[in-house]
Amino acid sequence: MAESIFSITIRSLYVSSVASLLAFIAATLLSLVASQLTRRRAEMVLSFFESLVGVPTTVIGLLVYMLLFPGGPLGFLRILYTPYAIIIGEFFVALPMAFTTMFRHFYSLRDSVRELVLSLGEPEKHVPRLLLRELTPILVSSYLTSFSRAIGELGVALIVGGGIEGYTNVLTTAIAIQTSIGNYEYAIWIGLILILITIAITFAVKIVGEYILWR
Amino acid sequence: MEIALENVWHSYDGETYVLRNISLRFRSPGTYLLIGPNGAGKTTLLKIVSFIIRPSRGRVLVDGASFWDLDNASRDSIRGSIVYVHDKPILVRGTVKFNVELGLRLKKRVDESIVEYYITRYGLKELENKSVNRLSAGQAKTVSIVRALVTEPTVLVLDEPFTYLDSTRSTLLIEDIMRIVRERGGMVLIATHYMYRELKALATEFVEIVNGEISSHAKNVFANS
Repeated sequence: MAESIFSITIRSLYVSSVASLLAFIAATLLSLVASQLTRRRAEMVLSFFESLVGVPTTVIGLLVYMLLFPGGPLGFLRILYTPYAIIIGEFFVALPMAFTTMFRHFYSLRDSVRELVLSLGEPEKHVPRLLLRELTPILVSSYLTSFSRAIGELGVALIVGGGIEGYTNVLTTAIAIQTSIGNYEYAIWIGLILILITIAITFAVKIVGEYILWR
Repeated sequence: MEIALENVWHSYDGETYVLRNISLRFRSPGTYLLIGPNGAGKTTLLKIVSFIIRPSRGRVLVDGASFWDLDNASRDSIRGSIVYVHDKPILVRGTVKFNVELGLRLKKRVDESIVEYYITRYGLKELENKSVNRLSAGQAKTVSIVRALVTEPTVLVLDEPFTYLDSTRSTLLIEDIMRIVRERGGMVLIATHYMYRELKALATEFVEIVNGEISSHAKNVFANS
């Protein structure tokens, strides 16, 4: 008897939301640091991360596997084929997406908000608060986009998670495994759930970004 | 208040100077008009006078004291009396009213009666709850001007304020400029291509900038001595 779709969905949501939250925090810190660079250097950093967005998740999975396998540098952690391994892998999948979606806005908004505050005769100490207010929709959509990328990836989850039923099986690995054993109906149902989650996120990004927070 | 520029040079990239050896003096009360072709350096000059940009070389004196050599508290205090209105309005997300009140919110002294007065005066009443993303260029410009006026600055610096404004709002703005100078003893600096008759009559001095320098004609009239 295959594992219930509900428990796979809950596990997927948990693993991907933790991974994308960590990626989001790292991307925010990276953006803060990179925003201190000159425009030219900042563009170079951005281009680097943009190129990482396209790296296949199987390659990321392989690299994380090499880190975590028993003889690897982080092998002593003994977390290969656990949800933690998937979280680490999906963190690297989500990070470039989170960074690229927030950084360009981060950089340009920082300058314009600073100009605005000074032009109103106010001291620079008001800049961070107003900047955070202006960035909120971008930060929200950055998180949701990176979550969407994490929950939809297969390479990492399969290579470092192994798709172990009841433990590391997530939506994408479940589809792959069920299809390989000919359980198409079950795989289709899981696929539909994944599509629904992705559509819901897309709408959430749209609504949050364009209709609520940008008003 | 007196703001003086002493041999001011400015470059954004460290190579090309957009302002070269500018020496000017602006005193309250007074209206100063900056004229010159696009790219002449008017905006940079106004931003230096408004303490938004620190010049690459030279000094900016406020009542004789070098602004950029003052401590932070003194700088913040002086900056509090000057408001600069950008050529291209910078609006934050939110409603028209929120944007109009922004300067007052940052100062933590929102005065509803002043906000109401200027919103009504400039015909923004019907738009006050509308998102600024849905404004026309003229409406956005009006919001940025009203946002400056509600703070009742001692020094108002306007960069191309009449661009996108209709004639009614332009007339209202000229009236408000006159009020700042004549009734409140303030100072208004304006970079403009639109030379309204009333504005011409109001001007204390004209400054013409060409290629980052005060043009020779204006220099005779305006250079501090």
